[in-house]
Amino acid sequence: MKFGESKKSSELADLAEGLVAFGRASGADEIEIHVSDGYEFSVDVRKGEIENLVEARSRVLGLRVIRDKRTAFASSSDLSLTTLRRLVKRAIKRAELANPDEFAGLAPLSPLKIDVASLNLFDPEVTTLDSKTKIGLALETERIALEDKRITNSHGASFGTNEAKSVLANSNGFLGEYNQSYCGLSVGLQAGNTDNLVEDYWFSSKRHFRELDPPEKVARTAVARTVRQIKPRKIKTQKAPIIFEPTMTSWLLGFLFACASGTSIYQKASFLVGKLGRRIGNQKVTVFDDGLLPGLLGTRPFDSDGVACRKTPVVEKGILRNYLCNTYAARKLKLRSTGNADGSGVSPTNFYLHAGDIPAAKIISSTEKGLLLVRTLGHGLNPVTGDISRGAFGLWIEKGEIAYPVTEITISGNLGEILENVESIGDDLEFLGPVAGPTIKIKEMTIAGN
Amino acid sequence: MKQYAALPFEDHFRIPLEDLKKILASALSLGGDFAEIFLEYGIYNFINMEEDIVKETAESVNLGLGVRVISGEKTGYGYSNDLSFEKIKKAALTAAAIASGGASSSLPRFRGLRYRHNFYRVEKPAHRIPMGKKLPLVREAYFAARNYDEKIKKVKAAFQDSLQYVMIVNSEGLVARDVRPLVKLTCVAIAEKNGKREYGYFGGGGRVGVEYFSRTQTPRRIGEEAAREALLLLEAREAPAGEMPVVLSPGHSGVLIHEAVGHLLEADFNRKKTSVFWDKMGKKVGGHQVTIFDDPTIPASRGSYNIDDEGTVPQKTLLIEKGIVRGWLQDRLSAGIMNLPLTGHGRRQDFTCIPIPRMANTYIDRGEYDPEEIMKSVRKGFYVDRLQGGQVEDSGKFTFSVSSGYLIEGGKLTAPVKQATLIGSNIDILKKIQMVGTDLAFGLQTGTCGKEGQEAPVNDGCPTLKISAMTVGGTG
Repeated sequence: MKFGESKKSSELADLAEGLVAFGRASGADEIEIHVSDGYEFSVDVRKGEIENLVEARSRVLGLRVIRDKRTAFASSSDLSLTTLRRLVKRAIKRAELANPDEFAGLAPLSPLKIDVASLNLFDPEVTTLDSKTKIGLALETERIALEDKRITNSHGASFGTNEAKSVLANSNGFLGEYNQSYCGLSVGLQAGNTDNLVEDYWFSSKRHFRELDPPEKVARTAVARTVRQIKPRKIKTQKAPIIFEPTMTSWLLGFLFACASGTSIYQKASFLVGKLGRRIGNQKVTVFDDGLLPGLLGTRPFDSDGVACRKTPVVEKGILRNYLCNTYAARKLKLRSTGNADGSGVSPTNFYLHAGDIPAAKIISSTEKGLLLVRTLGHGLNPVTGDISRGAFGLWIEKGEIAYPVTEITISGNLGEILENVESIGDDLEFLGPVAGPTIKIKEMTIAGN
Repeated sequence: MKQYAALPFEDHFRIPLEDLKKILASALSLGGDFAEIFLEYGIYNFINMEEDIVKETAESVNLGLGVRVISGEKTGYGYSNDLSFEKIKKAALTAAAIASGGASSSLPRFRGLRYRHNFYRVEKPAHRIPMGKKLPLVREAYFAARNYDEKIKKVKAAFQDSLQYVMIVNSEGLVARDVRPLVKLTCVAIAEKNGKREYGYFGGGGRVGVEYFSRTQTPRRIGEEAAREALLLLEAREAPAGEMPVVLSPGHSGVLIHEAVGHLLEADFNRKKTSVFWDKMGKKVGGHQVTIFDDPTIPASRGSYNIDDEGTVPQKTLLIEKGIVRGWLQDRLSAGIMNLPLTGHGRRQDFTCIPIPRMANTYIDRGEYDPEEIMKSVRKGFYVDRLQGGQVEDSGKFTFSVSSGYLIEGGKLTAPVKQATLIGSNIDILKKIQMVGTDLAFGLQTGTCGKEGQEAPVNDGCPTLKISAMTVGGTG
């Protein structure tokens, strides 16, 4: 069974299959080989000049062997056959150091067939852009941003592209291969004087060049996001409603993913342990993980276990429906893999909060008093308890209007309580990255100020 | 004093020096000012234990090189994991294209950099010990945590060791080599009581051999400390919210100095004037008790190195002296542009990355106050026991996350409190450091710092510190 775009195997697929055969002949019960071949271009410009220009092609190979239910991993950027065969042999030998683990092992060959071409992961245009165009995009973005006199300094603008071929072969007979492309444009800005600086950035990243936001849009968004923070105030410690901008909702969802990952669940490192089928949020909350949305950044035909990707309901009207699992976590939890394997862990495909029908502007205008959260800083996420505590920047809302920017505050709460207290959900869902959500309003959270 | 021999340099690249010279000539064929080849061969071993079993082991090999060309303030970079002459030359020509002009003048004679110092403290190199012999370290830490208390429900322990051979050859004729060992044993414990779960963390390591785990930090202690923290947090109450005096514990709280001060004294942010410090060289930014160093030469410490990733011998660097800004952390590019001496802080994650100014081991130097006196001066406040990490932006706003702390009432520690974020702005905090203790200590030797997508092993330190007021972000 094959997932390739063409019938003819590539050189890398031959290498992977050859090593699978070598591993089996050398005593591995099961073996899996990943190879990726990537081309990277990136340019950073600042104040109208190129700062850095990087261009390179590189390959890396990773492998997993299982012998007597004992697992060993290896990886190498040295792709000489001598080194690779040595690593396979050493991994087979090293497997005896691990304890037998009844849950270890490759995924059974998936009966699902995904048409790679229909996923639209690769844009040939990305590969044909010349250096001048790519450098020009970064320069143009920064130039437009610096036209605004309120902007006092630049962190620079960047444009980058990636093209990669990924191959996976295993001893259960799986051979899959796909190409993907990526391009991204960003700019970071500062406003204010040295002792009262504010800063922010904006970006656009897509698989397809024609979908990328033009320099004007990236620049103007970055400017608007930066200048709205000029002359911030500190506010008192209090409890108040908090409105999450889409980027902030995405951040919150990233944390939800970490808590709903099968790995955290079997490790008992999540507050969602034992909550499957139970209410973890109110009626308004519906979350999906969908690996098959054509052309999006999180889309892929199969995961790193070779399991076909799919659409998985995670939360439906507040009820937790699925943990996101790789093959191993699924076996541990007596569930089925959701096609989220990524290396030895799990990662989201396109993980998103289902949009509501209220325009974001209306959510703000209907808020008597509260904080519009625009940025956070720091760590402060504890999946074991669901507790959140984070440095924050925002805009204070009074009588439905933005009154002034606020700084040096922290927001804190608990993800479980936040999901329970979602008051409204905006209609502005946009996939800026693999994890996405619209504007949401939370009834109340703690804000620490002075 | 015991002498520690440097680990022998093994040539895993097998590229004749003559070929490297040809590559440098190609790199300068379009008129760059400076060219450099960074060659890297790294091996990494990993053992992971959870659910009472050794789950997996892993081994990885990292081989490759990067060619950098500097032309004025511009950098061109190409890298390859294929060390054939043609591929390397292609990387060199890619980097060369940052310049536009005729070939630069001929290369000088090459000279090997000789140095006598060795900041690594290795008797039994971890990479030479078979993995089977390293397993007991992980097991011991694991079961020390697992058996510490019946409320400990889950434990994870991991051992990692790496050895990195680097060789730097540049158009100034420098040929420099370093062999860098690094080990780390860490443990996470999760405690559960009445449906409530909390986790604790502890670890140890550095530029050391495995003898460290019998002499300096035993696996047993690493496991027990992780368990102890998790149990303590089970009894902890919500952290307070609002502005109050904060006392930082010695050692672990060095993260504050790293985030609040260290990053913004990296030269790149200052030559670009994006750091709040750029116009403050020689100016007073903090109290006279505040003296801060970054020292890549501390023996055995995780952030140390014999040469940086540009082949520069590192210096203990004075950053702030009695509250006055005295120095930046430099790499070649920034030092050249600012016309200042190198400090040996040009570091990179691996051969795919351009070197940038980075911290190594950053600490606030000991002060004059007895730690007890510091505690007694606080009627009501927050004591930071363990920090998880932090983040700063160039504007000087920073946060750091407290994984465990205590309330201070009447000069004494009272109730344990859990996770909270502290936020501040660095110029403000430096002014508010009121008392610095005599008890300088360093962190766990397990820290990693991220900047521009590149990770680097670091360590930091500080004595007991009192900050007159900081915003504490709890819910209680």
